[in-house]
Amino acid sequence: MENTANLTPARIDSIVLRTLTPATRTYWYTVALLALGAFIGLCCWIYQILVGIGVGGQNNPVAWGTYLINFVFWVGIAHSGTLISAILFLFRAGWRNPIARASETMTVFAVMTAGLFPLIHLGRVWLVYYMIPYPNQRNLWPNFTSPLMFDIVAISTYLTVSALFWYTGMIPDLATIRDRAVGTRKKIYTILSLGWTGQFEQWRHYVRGYLFFAALATPLVISVHSVVSWDFGLGVVPGWHSTIFAPYFVAGAIHSGLAMVLTLMIPMRKIFHYEEIITMKVLESVAKTIILTGMIVGYAYLVEIFIAWYSWNPVEREMFWWRIFGDYGVEYWIMTICNVFVPILFFFRKIRTSIKALFTISILVNVGMWYERFVIIVGGPAHDFLPHAWGLYAPSMIEMGIMLGTFCMFFMLFLLFVKHMPSISMTEMKESLAHGGGDDHE
Amino acid sequence: MTTSSSYVMGLFKDENAVVSVLKALKKSPWKLHRVHGPYPSEKILHALKFKKSKVGYFTLIGGITGLLTGYALPIFTSVQWNLIVSGKPIVAPIPFFVVGYELTILFGVLGTVLGLLLTARIPEFKSLKLYDERCSGEHFGIIAACDSDGVSDLMAFFEQQGGEVRRFEEPAPEQSTP
Repeated sequence: MENTANLTPARIDSIVLRTLTPATRTYWYTVALLALGAFIGLCCWIYQILVGIGVGGQNNPVAWGTYLINFVFWVGIAHSGTLISAILFLFRAGWRNPIARASETMTVFAVMTAGLFPLIHLGRVWLVYYMIPYPNQRNLWPNFTSPLMFDIVAISTYLTVSALFWYTGMIPDLATIRDRAVGTRKKIYTILSLGWTGQFEQWRHYVRGYLFFAALATPLVISVHSVVSWDFGLGVVPGWHSTIFAPYFVAGAIHSGLAMVLTLMIPMRKIFHYEEIITMKVLESVAKTIILTGMIVGYAYLVEIFIAWYSWNPVEREMFWWRIFGDYGVEYWIMTICNVFVPILFFFRKIRTSIKALFTISILVNVGMWYERFVIIVGGPAHDFLPHAWGLYAPSMIEMGIMLGTFCMFFMLFLLFVKHMPSISMTEMKESLAHGGGDDHE
Repeated sequence: MTTSSSYVMGLFKDENAVVSVLKALKKSPWKLHRVHGPYPSEKILHALKFKKSKVGYFTLIGGITGLLTGYALPIFTSVQWNLIVSGKPIVAPIPFFVVGYELTILFGVLGTVLGLLLTARIPEFKSLKLYDERCSGEHFGIIAACDSDGVSDLMAFFEQQGGEVRRFEEPAPEQSTP
């Protein structure tokens, strides 16, 4: 077990600032490898633009494939960052402090990644401005009663708010780095920290402003994935047209996001020797929350099936029977096992205090949550009202390439961040320490 | 506004020590200029007896503007083409609520950021001249102003309170703690 008794403000600074020292060759090789993956994705996208959207596997009846699956997946990943930084901040959960910054960073990069997919899916990406309400000669405006327009408004709001929340929280830490940097780095961090000096005249406004940020981000996080769920829930498609979609999607989003937090935190903790700050207690708290979200998700899966049976609607019953035992039955069981049954293992203390088990389960939950989006998004249109219009979907190599590219882009951005910016909030850790929460962040 | 030409900073690691120094400084002939710290200590904020921050007003104005914009934009654009879509009325308050809700939050946050920049007076780089880098680490820095003749007395005062001392030679800055 890690020893946190020696944690002092100076020690916190020293641990975090040590991560900003010049990177090793291995780091840059990893960044280069991820950049290559992102470049492959870019090439695939360019190929799709040149040849046409038909190079993807989307066709009748499944018009929404991996592009929309990945969109929902990444928006979901983004959610736990705001849960940790805003909701748990309002609840004064001390264990959030060591992982809040990295989670917020994950949120910003995940929303950026998600935002790429509607553009990719659009095909003729240069016409994206049609979605923007701007005065034009023909007096044509977007349809604001459409859930797709709700989505544009919600996702752009979420990106703006999470980026501002992230940057505002980072200002005092950027000042700490500025004060210990020299030369050009000092100049860069002086500008980035906006000349912050930590005067209490500044702190009193900052504390108030941060509270309002958190108070506004909390309803936002609930609304954004609800709006995403209505892209499906408001469509009259079996398997989609459900009133439970909003809470079901929000719980799923937090479930996948928390799993991604573990996936990112565990290697970061090991590589940067953050054991004193990101203690096992913190990882355990994330694992316990995953048990809760996993159970909510499991309940939603059961309710969907129950309603399909209880409604006696032949289309719904056929849809869910086919979902469980039909062409995508394997995907359904991967989803159920990874999202509902595997996280139950966290009930055992031995498992949730084992780094290897935590990391493996987090990956499995991520896989399960990706398949959940596959089952929902592809399953509905593939098997809707008209049996003669049923059809199957499989992603093409171009789609796989784009997916690889975006995953690589996300991890590359995260890797670049943790080596050049404070990946742990030194300010919040010091505050937590002053309130006696330094040992286990309870 | 301070007219003195000399500034002395006392640096303390303990927030309780800062609170007692602030009390002692009030009874002294020297004037408190400002206090720096690595985190927002509630005890120090309380001891400085600040007025309530006005950031919330910016948030409120931003939020109200967002809500009105969130309804005004869809209503305005819908009435440009009176075309019924999906059986919903031209002016459909329920779907437009989603836009109103999101823009309330967006504008509320933008208002908060604006409020924060204006009230906390950032970006601002002049204050860095009268600043000690230890204040972003583990020290709280109390800056007091005095006549050039009283510098040694003020330095002795901070030392007596158990702090480290730093004297500034820079010209007098404009702002001071109320």
